Amino acid sequence: MAKHNTPMMDELEKGPWPSFVTDLKRQAEKSPQCWDILGQMELSFKDKITHWKHGGIVGVFGYGGGIVGRYSDVPAQFPGVAHFHTVRLNQPSSKFYNTTKLRQVCDLWEKYGSGMTNMHGSTGDLVLLGTRTEHLEPLFYDLTHDLNWDLGGSGSNLRTPSCCLGKARCEWACYDTQAACHGMTMHYQDEIHRPAFPYKFKFKFSGCPNDCVASIARSDLSVIGNWRDNIRIDQAAVKEYAAGNYVANGGAHGPKSTLDIQKDVIDLCPTGCMWLEGGELKIDNAECTRCMHCINMMPRALRPGVVQGATILCGAKAPILDGAQLATMIVPFIEMDPNNDFEQLVEFIESVWDWWMENGKNRERLGETMQRVGLPTFLKVINVDPIPQHVKEPRSNPYVFWAEEEVEGGFERDVKEFRARNAM
Amino acid sequence: MAVSKEELKKLILEKAINAPKPQLYVKDFYECDPDAKPREVKNAANELVKEGKMDFWSSGSTTMYAAKGRAKNEETR
Ligand code: HEM
Ligand code: HEM
Ligand code: SF4
Ligand code: SF4
Repeated sequence: MAKHNTPMMDELEKGPWPSFVTDLKRQAEKSPQCWDILGQMELSFKDKITHWKHGGIVGVFGYGGGIVGRYSDVPAQFPGVAHFHTVRLNQPSSKFYNTTKLRQVCDLWEKYGSGMTNMHGSTGDLVLLGTRTEHLEPLFYDLTHDLNWDLGGSGSNLRTPSCCLGKARCEWACYDTQAACHGMTMHYQDEIHRPAFPYKFKFKFSGCPNDCVASIARSDLSVIGNWRDNIRIDQAAVKEYAAGNYVANGGAHGPKSTLDIQKDVIDLCPTGCMWLEGGELKIDNAECTRCMHCINMMPRALRPGVVQGATILCGAKAPILDGAQLATMIVPFIEMDPNNDFEQLVEFIESVWDWWMENGKNRERLGETMQRVGLPTFLKVINVDPIPQHVKEPRSNPYVFWAEEEVEGGFERDVKEFRARNAM
Repeated sequence: MAVSKEELKKLILEKAINAPKPQLYVKDFYECDPDAKPREVKNAANELVKEGKMDFWSSGSTTMYAAKGRAKNEETR
């Protein structure tokens, strides 16, 4: 495995940004198979087609996920990537690594693989890129015995759950995202390691509606911290913001930025539910849609309320079929109590799974099944009462469908006679 | 009435061996016992893999099942 001539790949080193081509070249000094990655990519650019074949019977004993088989379709030309399987590791909650563990995993991967890793790309996992089938079992043995570390999910499994920094670092966290993420990871080990579903399934946990793990865009079941009472207001701090004594947005726009409360906060509230009254900031909390804008702008004056829990959304996905889709709010508020092992969440998850395993088509994400049957049917089967907030946009579909048994007197009633007794 | 687990495993394996396609989705096994819960079918199929009678075939995004030796593997092709 020697260096190939790769003029097109070399172009990707020219910009001002970090370049994976430079990284690959550096790693190739230690792991010569990396020259073949570059060579095969150059050929793919030239042929305008991928030269990776995917899939196969690849894995470690007892596990039906965590390792994804990849093979070159031009192995004679690039023997270093004839097999190039990827290994997914279950990252620690909130991705809190220590340097010892990172060094260990790098050493392990230089021993058994290419040394190339993907730290939390779009899958969210820590992915080790490129090894041969015969290295999988020894790698898995060392990983589990020496590093005390496990594989993550892939295929039609529950994928490695992930969460934001939560209460470890963030005052806005409305529940302990790490406890929930770790708790669900342990509770659903079988679903993570063995295929269970018509297709992949992802949970992600954010502590507040800022949703730092983007769960609303990329998880089938997204758990977003929320409060059900009122935003806490410190009126003295509001006055300091008004006077320009506190930096706007916690300093995110520079140390000197100040706030015009009317223009920067009140006028930008999406539901128009805030106003100033005699220098005091007022919020009509029933209308607040929990967008976090005002709290983000004035963190010293505003905080989430004290009755805290989470909102559950379902059905996000990134494209393969039908294009990208954001999640739909399903349960406005549930309790998130680590002391009862997140009982309410577990109950909800299982009602969704039971239905989707039965009704989802092969390779259909939860969001696609929901779209196919329609939200009213989905709400009915998982036993959630419809509320106005379930309607995506007012007037986009003004029709409400009633089942006959929900209409007083049914469809055959005598309206005139009914109105005589029940005025409009 | 759902059949016993061993009976269900037997039906799943028969289907995996005799189906025209070598690779099957877990849902394809639901009909082995229409009274069984999807999760019971999945557990039974996964046990067959542990016993070495079936293989997981995975594309990376989807996982399928095949009777041992029926699905083609890149390395033995
Ligand atoms: C220049 C002429 C017209 C304009 C610009 C116009 C515009 C509109 C607009 C903007 C809407 C509201 C759509 C929505 O909210 O989704 C609407 C609804 C409607 N228009 Fe017109 N319209 C015109 C003439 C007419 C005529 C001549 C009729 C009947 C003879 C008519 C019957 C209706 C009806 C039945 C609705 C639906 C009301 C509802 O949503 O409940 N419109 N029109
Ligand atoms: C073959 C003939 C017709 C077809 C295929 C047709 C089809 C439709 C469709 C698809 C809609 C929209 C429903 C929705 O938004 O979900 C609609 C709405 C409507 N149509 Fe027709 N239509 C026909 C004839 C007529 C005629 C002759 C009139 C009036 C004289 C009429 C008046 C309306 C009105 C007022 C609405 C709006 C209802 C509302 O927004 O509440 N349509 N029609
Ligand atoms: S999602 Fe909310 S709680 Fe979690 S880190 Fe981001 S801002 Fe903090
Ligand atoms: S969180 Fe958003 S919707 Fe709620 S009051 Fe603040 S700006 Fe308005």
